[in-house]
Amino acid sequence: DACVICHRHYRSRPTHGIGKFKYLLPKEAPKKRKDRVRMKAVNVGTEHEYGDINIQMTSYDMCLVEHFAKHVHRLCNRLSIRVNESYAMPTKTNEVLFLEERGSKMQLDAVLTTHQRVVQICGLSSTFAPILLEIIQSNQPEGVHLLVKEHTEADFKIRLKTRPELEELLAQMS
Amino acid sequence: ARAQPKKKKKVDIKREQAQKERMKKKIRKLEKAAQEMIPIEDFVTPPKYLESNRVRSLPPLSSEETERRVLLMKKWSLYKQKQDEAEKKAIQTLVASQQAALKELRLESEELYQAAIKRDEGLFPFERDGPNYTPPLPDYDPPEGKCIDITKVYTQ
Repeated sequence: DACVICHRHYRSRPTHGIGKFKYLLPKEAPKKRKDRVRMKAVNVGTEHEYGDINIQMTSYDMCLVEHFAKHVHRLCNRLSIRVNESYAMPTKTNEVLFLEERGSKMQLDAVLTTHQRVVQICGLSSTFAPILLEIIQSNQPEGVHLLVKEHTEADFKIRLKTRPELEELLAQMS
Repeated sequence: ARAQPKKKKKVDIKREQAQKERMKKKIRKLEKAAQEMIPIEDFVTPPKYLESNRVRSLPPLSSEETERRVLLMKKWSLYKQKQDEAEKKAIQTLVASQQAALKELRLESEELYQAAIKRDEGLFPFERDGPNYTPPLPDYDPPEGKCIDITKVYTQ
């Protein structure tokens, strides 16, 4: 009875290592650092391809901007433009105050939230870029502000949390 | 009077060095921790919408109404399909005419063709406001006011 229960495989036995399969799987790179800014594609004119481009859509209306971002993403998929990422920037909240007609007191009018979605594409050819811009513009809804620019490290850093303690210590050091 | 300056030199330097080491260690520890992204408030549902007693009760629809809606949906989807196809066709004609023009240009002069192929540096950044429902009123005098940014600042 006891022999049947015992399932250990000894190193000398031929059954040693039976059941192992992880060595067959492809090795995963350790995905530690989030600060991996993608290497830019060839930016020189002779290669006629743009690097990472950010299509930023901003609006006060969240559903509208999300639908538009979804539309742009699907458009890029359909036109076989490589989409690196499609993410949301942190929401900004603004309090709008206005001065009353008779009086010096500022009155609260509304609290507006500004939403921004970004679709990052790569490998856009110089001949196709104006056509893509034309299509996106023709589908742009009301109230959505469009901004197309090249991706920089600063754009990435804005999404990260500030670290005041670290900055304080660094300031003290130098 | 003589012994004290000696103490100041050695002990202080050591203390300062120890302090610097401690600060460097702290900095290294903080830098090792991965940077976190700011959480996006849009994707967090406010708790008041998670209550289970929020149920919408709709009145039952008559068969004519459902039929009307189904037919309307069919017409709308057909209209949108035609619109989408027209857009796709427009893109294709744009690309085709562009290619034809470039081909002709190449036959004309190789230099101009190479210059046309190059990427436009002035294209980005490109900014455009969305269209408006109505044009702006000519004699509108907006009230004075200001905007205060009350976005929550997240720190690590």
